[in-house]
Amino acid sequence: MRNKDKAPLTQLELDLNARKKRFWDAATLKTPDRVPLACMDDYFCLSLGGATAATAYYEPEKAVKIYLEQIGQFNWDMMTPFGNLPGKVGEILGCTSNKWAGYNLPDNHEFQYVEKEYMSADEYDEFLRDPSDFTVRKLWPRMATGLEAFGLFPNLLVLSHSFAPISDLALTLGQPEVQEMLEKMLEAGKEMNKYNQIFELTEQGLNAQGFPMLGGIATAHAPFDWVSDYLRGIKGSMMDMYYEPDKLKAVIEVITPPMIQHAIETAKMFDDPVVFMPLHRGADPFMSRDQYAEFYWPGLKKTINAFVDAGLTPFTFWEGSYTGRLEFLQELPPGKVLSHFDVVDLEKAREMIGDITCFWGNVPAGTLMSGTPDDVGDYVKKLIDIFGDTGSLIIDGGAGIPKEAKIENVMALTETVLEYGVY
Amino acid sequence: MTNKLFNAIKGLNRDEAFKITEELLGKQVNPEEILAAGKDAMQIIGERFELGEYFLPELMVSGDILAGVAKRVKPYLQGSDDAKKHGKVVFGTVAGDIHDIAKDIVVFMLEVNGFEVIDLGVDVPVEEFVNAVRKHEAEIVGLSGFLTLALEPMRQTIDALRTAGFTDVKVMVGGGPINDSVCKDVGADAWGENAMDAVTIAKDWAGIAA
Repeated sequence: MRNKDKAPLTQLELDLNARKKRFWDAATLKTPDRVPLACMDDYFCLSLGGATAATAYYEPEKAVKIYLEQIGQFNWDMMTPFGNLPGKVGEILGCTSNKWAGYNLPDNHEFQYVEKEYMSADEYDEFLRDPSDFTVRKLWPRMATGLEAFGLFPNLLVLSHSFAPISDLALTLGQPEVQEMLEKMLEAGKEMNKYNQIFELTEQGLNAQGFPMLGGIATAHAPFDWVSDYLRGIKGSMMDMYYEPDKLKAVIEVITPPMIQHAIETAKMFDDPVVFMPLHRGADPFMSRDQYAEFYWPGLKKTINAFVDAGLTPFTFWEGSYTGRLEFLQELPPGKVLSHFDVVDLEKAREMIGDITCFWGNVPAGTLMSGTPDDVGDYVKKLIDIFGDTGSLIIDGGAGIPKEAKIENVMALTETVLEYGVY
Repeated sequence: MTNKLFNAIKGLNRDEAFKITEELLGKQVNPEEILAAGKDAMQIIGERFELGEYFLPELMVSGDILAGVAKRVKPYLQGSDDAKKHGKVVFGTVAGDIHDIAKDIVVFMLEVNGFEVIDLGVDVPVEEFVNAVRKHEAEIVGLSGFLTLALEPMRQTIDALRTAGFTDVKVMVGGGPINDSVCKDVGADAWGENAMDAVTIAKDWAGIAA
């Protein structure tokens, strides 16, 4: 009788396991057999196959097919899902807080977040008094025209009385604007269910070619970034350090626990232990060291540690320049965090955090787009020379592979690692 | 008389700055003098930014205070601001890109260093740059872009300027993905990593000692 457990692994399965091990060995500070390649690819492979961001947002199944046809030519060890956004859902709800290809941006443009003050400075007290009520009745209507009727709801806490379903709530549900909104929400939900399959389809397709996928479906932010991105805007949040420092800190305190809880729940729901954390407004040029120490780092550190304590792996993407923050990164739990860098002083990074976290990155986007294969090869060799002895280097572009990258440069990145990166 | 205002703005004390401005206006102090104190204070803020002592919060707070002072002074102003400028710079984030922060910092630093900046905003179409250079007779153009997709519009804008006959206009580029290779690739005259680079380049082009 054939013992299922002892059946020999196929070559594909062996490749898959070897690649996975190579990546996670480097990620957890155990020297692998060679420097792993893990390239964040939002739209590069789609572009190669003649698809655009609009394809990804409106014809996701077609995009998966094109992505899977192209990605196999790169001998990378860990893949990331391509850039996605449910375009139709956004249209149905009249989302105004983002712009995207196929709707209000040209087809080949990646989506852009609409930066503005979604909450004014004089609304801090109202938000702090009841953050959920403020979110539902004030913020949602400001993010999407299709959600404006939430502004007609009574205060949510008032709806806690036991007659609410047959009185105040029912009265609200009867209003024509609310009924129209509920119909749109139903339609949006049905549309969204179609998108939920995309990650799974992508991962299955990759595995079938012997490639693992790093999910990172659960996403979390530095609490300061949350306030800056979603509530006060960059100008508001930066000025609040002077004008409203206590309220700024109070909001950071309030949103941190639910943000952590939500990411943990999402990670469990998708059975995916990686939490993606795109970090942006704490980069060197944005604020001083002291401001970072006071307003940014405490919340971020708390968030990262909470994920590690929950058995998850934070995938931090330090977008922008971070040399001045390396001293803080020394407090990261060793070997527990994926640290992807964009711009940083390499020698200082090696010296200060080389034994604490993997160094994932960071061939400059400009070089991948406008440089020569030799320029790319030289940069990759420099990375290997500096970080090679840590055993925890992972190669990628600084912000992944831009869709405008020259294919010969991406090939040079890959081949240099395969030739020069063996331990 | 305006020294207190200078100190209040320099010290990023908004309420104090507004109170002093109103007092000065009440005492019939020349509004040009009040604005001059504000500009002097901004010069100090700019210097501290260059030295790495000040960051975005200070630029934004000082900009906010100066705007508040200017708003209070405006009804009292007669005639136009004829302060001598080093040169005219047309600046904007290129088509398809809506990022404004880096652009705003560079505009701020060029202004406090004596340049007249025509800020075209974000997602600026190619023709708008060409038209602005023509209208304002600008000597320098600054193209900002954060996204990698900014490369093509940068190239198109520079090509359009050259085609329109503005071959002597100097063009600088800057932003997230920009480096030396990109600068050459898109045909720009120079590139900068930060706002201080932009000032150095502009001063060099304007023939002013840095």
